[in-house]
Amino acid sequence: MRSSVVGQLIRKDLVLYWKPIFTATAAAAAALALVLAGGETPVFVGVILFFIALILAGHMLPLMGIANERKKQNLAFLMSLPISSIQYTTAKLISSLILFLIPWLTAVIVGVWIIDTRGIFPPGVLPDALILAFLPLLGFCLITGAVLVGETEGWGIAANVFCNIVYPFFWYFMLKVPALMANVKSPTVVWNSASLTILAWEFALAPLMLGLTYFIQSRKRDFV
Amino acid sequence: MDGTFAISQSDKRPMYLQIIEQIKQRIAVGDWSEGRAIPSIRQLAVDLQVSVITVKRAYLELEREGVIVTQQGKGSHVASNGGLGKRLREAQATRLAAMLGIRPKELEHRLREAGDRISEKETI
Amino acid sequence: MSDPAIELSGVRKNYKYFSLDNIHLTVPEGQIMGLIGPNGAGKSTTIRIILGLVHQDSGEVRVLGHRMPAEQIAAKWDIGFASEDMRLYESLTIGWHMDFMRRIYPKWDAAYARLLLKRFGLRADQKVKGLSHGQRVKATLLMVLARKPKLLVLDEPTTGLDPVARHEILRELTAVMADEGRSVLFSSHNTHDVEQISDRVTFIDRGRIIDSMDKEVYLERWRRLHLEVPHGVELPVLPGIIGVRRDGRLAIATANAFVPDLAHAYESSGARVHSVENMTLEEIFVANVEYSREEVEA
Repeated sequence: MRSSVVGQLIRKDLVLYWKPIFTATAAAAAALALVLAGGETPVFVGVILFFIALILAGHMLPLMGIANERKKQNLAFLMSLPISSIQYTTAKLISSLILFLIPWLTAVIVGVWIIDTRGIFPPGVLPDALILAFLPLLGFCLITGAVLVGETEGWGIAANVFCNIVYPFFWYFMLKVPALMANVKSPTVVWNSASLTILAWEFALAPLMLGLTYFIQSRKRDFV
Repeated sequence: MDGTFAISQSDKRPMYLQIIEQIKQRIAVGDWSEGRAIPSIRQLAVDLQVSVITVKRAYLELEREGVIVTQQGKGSHVASNGGLGKRLREAQATRLAAMLGIRPKELEHRLREAGDRISEKETI
Repeated sequence: MSDPAIELSGVRKNYKYFSLDNIHLTVPEGQIMGLIGPNGAGKSTTIRIILGLVHQDSGEVRVLGHRMPAEQIAAKWDIGFASEDMRLYESLTIGWHMDFMRRIYPKWDAAYARLLLKRFGLRADQKVKGLSHGQRVKATLLMVLARKPKLLVLDEPTTGLDPVARHEILRELTAVMADEGRSVLFSSHNTHDVEQISDRVTFIDRGRIIDSMDKEVYLERWRRLHLEVPHGVELPVLPGIIGVRRDGRLAIATANAFVPDLAHAYESSGARVHSVENMTLEEIFVANVEYSREEVEA
């Protein structure tokens, strides 16, 4: 009985938020189409659009799907259902992840395929591209966590702003690390300890942030 | 069946008294005959949209006065101790007379006169 | 004798600017309890503690036999909760919400739900955002009523509704009483509604329960005596009189434990009793709060 209520909550989120996710996926698809079209400007615009689509998906989803739910007072309705606040958090994290991962995974997989096979980019760019692609995922985890824990739109917006500031610093940092730039033009994919370490950190940070969110949520005594 | 009970909070009298009066009224005019089953406390409460406790109070009072009888598990019914309807009508008339300021002796006298007049008309 | 539907003992909750203090509250099974209190008295907090949405700082909370908030999931299967600050999803339809509830609750009565739709004048294809305030309240209540829950906990169910809508809702609330295993707790500003359908009434003010009794007992015990006090007459202090207000030679004595002897006692002292009046629940509530606040401040 318990899992089916959580299941209904996840289903509810998919029903409510499929449209913006569809838009984000379409935007990423359009971006990739531009890249495939070839030519310097389309590729450039396509790459930028690609990252914008992913960042928008990662940032907008938690604000819409979580902060709004509290603001619009739907949360009291949900908590009148036979669930605990932990189950609510679980349902929220799962549905948000599903909704985000659909565009993100699609975009990343197609992007990797393009790099690997289409000859538009040198394959050596792959490690750095992956590092960059993980940033919106981390941003998503951070904002989701902030909005669940902080309970107000304000926290979500603050986390949003924080990410938007951090991204350019990160890109600058990447440009300045020789180990990351060394193999960008190489015709084969070269993994070195620098790129592997950074990717490992990114891989670990995501579940870490979600786990921390979960932990803090479970300690709350006043949920609504 | 009982859609015509009129219980009003703006009435000066407490709700339970209004219920008592309207039940007595029905018995007095003969709509509720002696021995007839009446709605359970809960059912009447639902029909009238008033609290169970108010109906309960009315029923307890009516039972105390011998107007209704409640049996465990069988519900309530109008008491069948002969002439209940008539007694209630008389009680009503007396109350009405009191309101009009007519004393019981005089009421009896006037009723006798009125009765005689009616009989005269009928024999003509 | 079955478990009470709701039982709060010694419940305390502290917030920065407000505390719930030593709340004792019992709603026996099969009864309707009305909770009356001014804004900020603690009605909503108490209700949220009952639902397990807010964790009390101390004290025991048992709802339908379950300890709260620990067993809130089990309890909430049988509790129907609706509050004034609760909203359905704007962009979705009433029908979607009905389906949602149907999928979650095995006890959902689809036929009753359709009947309520008709009675409330709603349509399944209406989006929540297009509903008026009254329609929205009725839609939210529909979601709760059609589940036929054992316990209904309602925070201001009729506030802000037009008389027709209020009547429709009271009708459904009293229909719940037909089943003696079901209970209702509702808070309301509308003392008229509380007086009409409650079996028990609890008054709450500034975080404290000031009184909790059977409604008919309140109506029996409280009276207003209009007195004329001639010069030189001292009004006796009588048990059962909660307070007296003087205005020249006239006085109003408010009794919270009236017996006819009280009127005689006043007459014996030389005062004249002009009238003894019943009090409405609202008047009882206001008097109760006024006098209890005076007591606290004294």
